Amino acid sequence: MTWNPRPYLALARATARSAVVFRLQFALSLFSVLFQLVAMLAVWHALLSHKPLTGFTWPKMEVYLLVTFTAGAVVSNFSDFRISYKIRNGQVALDLVKPLDYQRARLAETVGGLGGELLSVLLVWAVGLAFGVRLDLPALRYLALFAVSLVLLVLLKFTLTYLTGLLCFWTKNYLGIYWARLAIVSLLSGALVPLSLLPHWLGETAQWLPFAGMTSTPGLLLIGNATGGQAYRLVAVQLVWAVLLWSAARLAWRGAMRQVTIQGG
Amino acid sequence: MRRIPVNHPANPVSVRGRETTTDKGSSSMALIEAEDLTKSFRQADKDPGLAGSLRHLVRRRYQEKLAVDHISLRVGAGEAVAYVGPNGAGKSTTVKLLSGILVPTSGQVRIDGLVPHENRMAVAQRIGVLFGQRTQLWWDLTVADSLSTLRDVYGVDPAVHRRRLARFDEVLGLGEILPVVGRKLSLGQRVRADLAAALLHAPPVVYLDEPTIGLDVGVKDRVRAFLRSLADEGTTVMLTSHDLQDIEDVCHRLVIIDGGRIIFDGSMAALKDEFAKERLLRLETVEPLDPQALRPLLPLTEVRQGEHPREVLIRFDRFKVTAAQVVAATGTLAEITDFRVDEPQIEDVIRRVYTGELLLGSGAARG
Repeated sequence: MTWNPRPYLALARATARSAVVFRLQFALSLFSVLFQLVAMLAVWHALLSHKPLTGFTWPKMEVYLLVTFTAGAVVSNFSDFRISYKIRNGQVALDLVKPLDYQRARLAETVGGLGGELLSVLLVWAVGLAFGVRLDLPALRYLALFAVSLVLLVLLKFTLTYLTGLLCFWTKNYLGIYWARLAIVSLLSGALVPLSLLPHWLGETAQWLPFAGMTSTPGLLLIGNATGGQAYRLVAVQLVWAVLLWSAARLAWRGAMRQVTIQGG
Repeated sequence: MRRIPVNHPANPVSVRGRETTTDKGSSSMALIEAEDLTKSFRQADKDPGLAGSLRHLVRRRYQEKLAVDHISLRVGAGEAVAYVGPNGAGKSTTVKLLSGILVPTSGQVRIDGLVPHENRMAVAQRIGVLFGQRTQLWWDLTVADSLSTLRDVYGVDPAVHRRRLARFDEVLGLGEILPVVGRKLSLGQRVRADLAAALLHAPPVVYLDEPTIGLDVGVKDRVRAFLRSLADEGTTVMLTSHDLQDIEDVCHRLVIIDGGRIIFDGSMAALKDEFAKERLLRLETVEPLDPQALRPLLPLTEVRQGEHPREVLIRFDRFKVTAAQVVAATGTLAEITDFRVDEPQIEDVIRRVYTGELLLGSGAARG
């Protein structure tokens, strides 16, 4: 069957329109990420204002934290719960009687939700830059890599969220998985502390894990801390993980279908 | 329990072909084919209380529960089938097996020649599903937006879409609810919109679970007439409903399921023949008539006094005695002025099956 994008575009549009209706909940879910940004800015300002740590001066850290915020805002909690909610409440039965690939359809909805998320991201960047965040743009090829890396970030976040959502088929409970994932991702993605400041063995290992692509990689690319071969390698790691997780999610889906009992049906 | 073989004209049991042609015009091909379809669920077998739950954590025991037990079913194009049974009989599990949501434990199922759980997307294009309890509308979009999203999902041509909306407006009064946001719909409005959503892509096979729940009487009638016309135009309709009027108005064929097994499959008339043999004849005579005097003349019947001395009630098995015989016998004793035959309503028969009053298996054995 050749792939026809029209149904998926329609789904993305429907989600984008829904997000407009959900303004308040949407704003609240972003608010938590924004709050984190302010807290992190305060902490790192206190740490870095006197002497810079290896590779991180205060101006660089400001930009890194804005990327962290961006990474947290795209595929937000809002999208997260939408994906798992469908699985948890049996709504999946209705999705299954549509002529749609389940995984692509959920990705389409996530992409549809991106519009609103990116809008708030731009707003925060504008405010940040207006209030003196200094952005020294890296060379054009790193800027291009940064853009690619952001796209891969969305794909990575989506597949990981989707995979954990699928676990609901087995666990019938989402919150536990959600918290576990949140803890692991914030530590190993470099959202809490840049990976280079973690204990050496942990930071080195984390570079090769899928989580680095969810904050650290685009962050390092934008502040110019990843250059040359390392820059390409980091994005390649992102790409490989995106492909692997996407395929893993497909397998998990097949397993879930065998498992499926459709709760409450 | 024994299934009653009934030759329904649109259910050619003799056709055993495996054609995969999608020619909707050929009525010989069954759109829904299920053979020995079985689904069992694994249910956690826990002892009651906290201790039981803890024990379950350590040593898991499960119990196989048969939700659908060797069901065989063939439904042709344009057939309207009522699929009824008490709660938990396996109705919605069957529908989920037929639509590819569930993978059968064993047995075969084909929709329009395709195996649903192997060709889920292709089958989804051919079926429309209404789960009365759930909505497929977007909660935050207007009905019009929801329907146009579905239009793109199913790849319906915009001009065709407009034509169908116009028809839904006629039958379901859809026009007035198009601008309403999903979450603000009343139950009746929601069911109407969901009905439109399920039929928007003109699927050749439609499963409807409680399609008239929450609707006003007037709208109910229109929905039933609409479903009937869909079937007449060649759509295969499979309907589960607790509203027995839905069943009588829309369906000619009835499948009753209980405990995961089909206990009856046949036409409405056949059900009446098989399980409602009794007729009640009310006779009014010019002079009062003593039932005692009539009894020897009609030994196979049950004769009672009616509401007044000039009325007698005669209950009889219409395969053993005809109404004409009853009337003739009574006529020898008194002049008859009026008579009326009470036929059992299909509603009563099904209701008695539901409540367990009528055991179809034993009923069939006796007959």
